[in-house]
Amino acid sequence: MADMPAIEVRQLTRRFDSRKGFLFGEVVRTEALRGIDLTVENGAMFGLLGPNGAGKTTLVKILATLLLPTSGTARVLGHDVVTETDWLRPRMGLVLGGERGLYNRVSGRENLRYFADLYGIPTSERESRIREVLERVDLASAADRRVEEYSRGMKQKLHLARGILHRPQILFLDEPTIGLDPKSARETRKLVRSLLQDGVTILLTTHYMFEAEELCPEIAVLSRGRIVAYDTVEALRHRIGGDRTIEVEAYGFEDREISVLRELPGVSHVASEEYGPRTRLTLRLRTDETTPRQVSASIEGHPELSVKERRTSLEDVYLDLVEEEAT
Amino acid sequence: MATAPAEVSRARATTASLRLSVLQFLADPQWLVPSMIAPVIFGIVSFELFRGAGPYYLTYAILGAGMMSMWGQTLYGSGWATGQDREFGTLEPTIQAPTPYLYVVLGRIVWNVVAGLFGGLIVYGVVVLAAGGPPALPDPVAFVLLFLFVMATLAVVGVVFAAAYVYTRYAGFIQNIGEFAFYVGTGCMFPVVLLPFWTNPIALIFPPTWALDALRYLSIPGYQGFSWGWEWDLVGAAVTTAIYVGIAGTIFHRVERHVLEDGTLSEY
Repeated sequence: MADMPAIEVRQLTRRFDSRKGFLFGEVVRTEALRGIDLTVENGAMFGLLGPNGAGKTTLVKILATLLLPTSGTARVLGHDVVTETDWLRPRMGLVLGGERGLYNRVSGRENLRYFADLYGIPTSERESRIREVLERVDLASAADRRVEEYSRGMKQKLHLARGILHRPQILFLDEPTIGLDPKSARETRKLVRSLLQDGVTILLTTHYMFEAEELCPEIAVLSRGRIVAYDTVEALRHRIGGDRTIEVEAYGFEDREISVLRELPGVSHVASEEYGPRTRLTLRLRTDETTPRQVSASIEGHPELSVKERRTSLEDVYLDLVEEEAT
Repeated sequence: MATAPAEVSRARATTASLRLSVLQFLADPQWLVPSMIAPVIFGIVSFELFRGAGPYYLTYAILGAGMMSMWGQTLYGSGWATGQDREFGTLEPTIQAPTPYLYVVLGRIVWNVVAGLFGGLIVYGVVVLAAGGPPALPDPVAFVLLFLFVMATLAVVGVVFAAAYVYTRYAGFIQNIGEFAFYVGTGCMFPVVLLPFWTNPIALIFPPTWALDALRYLSIPGYQGFSWGWEWDLVGAAVTTAIYVGIAGTIFHRVERHVLEDGTLSEY
């Protein structure tokens, strides 16, 4: 059991059929997941990235037993998510987040009491366990206020407290810091790290690249229901073009100039982006052969030219991958 | 941090659901209208409606208004609470918890029965106050027992209605359409035998129709209900209730499977 991966997904698909219009309207079919293969080891923190509609939440819901796959298999802690839900549900935590999902008219503490009872947390431990998680998410002082009086960030914390209340072996976090102010988001990331130290396996979906980079040694990028990249952050950086990125900005470039930049030694990829009157070319470099000075020299005479080098971020990798998939 | 999962107690889940229902009721003033003010109105209307309709008009008035009040609380409220779970987005985490959802619904129904009884008591008080005295009941003990039995039949239909709310977000819409038909069709205000004959077989599908007929037989001397009499009414009520309990026991599992297949659990 200990050697078994925490999550093992094979050729997973999920299709949604919805009807356009009323009663006899045309059926619209959406392929939310198209042949997903994924393995997450026990005790690991795994990041799932992707744009809106990529299928992240669909995958999380299938793994959390809230949705059935159309085909393929998914096992969590060695158990099938379709046929072994009774075994799995007490052992997993799910944080979907957002404004919904809580009983707003009662207090945060009462929300937790209710779910503690549904999870069968021993009555003798219930109050101390609730106190512990409330302190852990820094919500103890507001525990007896009605949830409807909570800010978005406080609700998010309460979601998290509910997700860990029953001490799950695996935790699914679907965009846990969305809508949080920077301080709360940092505290949430700190909490997530501490859960990992406690031995909890965590699957995190996020829009924020820095968050995935900071928390997840391994990530998968999901786009249009497919995994387009699946590796460590470093390996993905290398795959897309190495650690180095040079940004070149000016009031427009000629095609000839872009071709010159593409031919420079070590340049693996050139992306162009317009913002306002200016254009930014982003060069990914596999080697150290080309320097910013050489880039400037290769398109010498261009007015208002700005050239700077920085480390390739996960966001660069992500944008390149999603763009590649879209084209 | 991860520990072996605790043993889930269904009774504890039902108690937790009951407790949450009470807290939500107390926290929300909008509930005062259906639970306390509406029974007063029903009582007055019913008293005026039945006044002069024979020597046992008070019992008719109490039963009519009492059932109207309890119908809303016990039957409608139980389904609606699940509809609220959809609206709040709490249906997903509740279904995801290890306790079968049926036991959560049961907790709500227990509360709705209590609230319904409270409404019935208000109606009784209003009618007695308006009439200047209590109605003459041939057998008060049988009346109370059958009254509770009627509540149980309403509650069991409520469980099945709650499953419909899990099944589809349109359950509220369907229930709103059928609300008055169900209320009249099961004989809440008037005996079903007063309705056109073709409505009777439909009405007999529902346990409260049988139980209410038996209740009227035993509390109103000379009452002319279904020709088979109160004994067979009780048998019919017991059989249909058992069928509904059977349906309730299996329907939640099937409904859950369906919504997980359709992916409509989070729709509201």
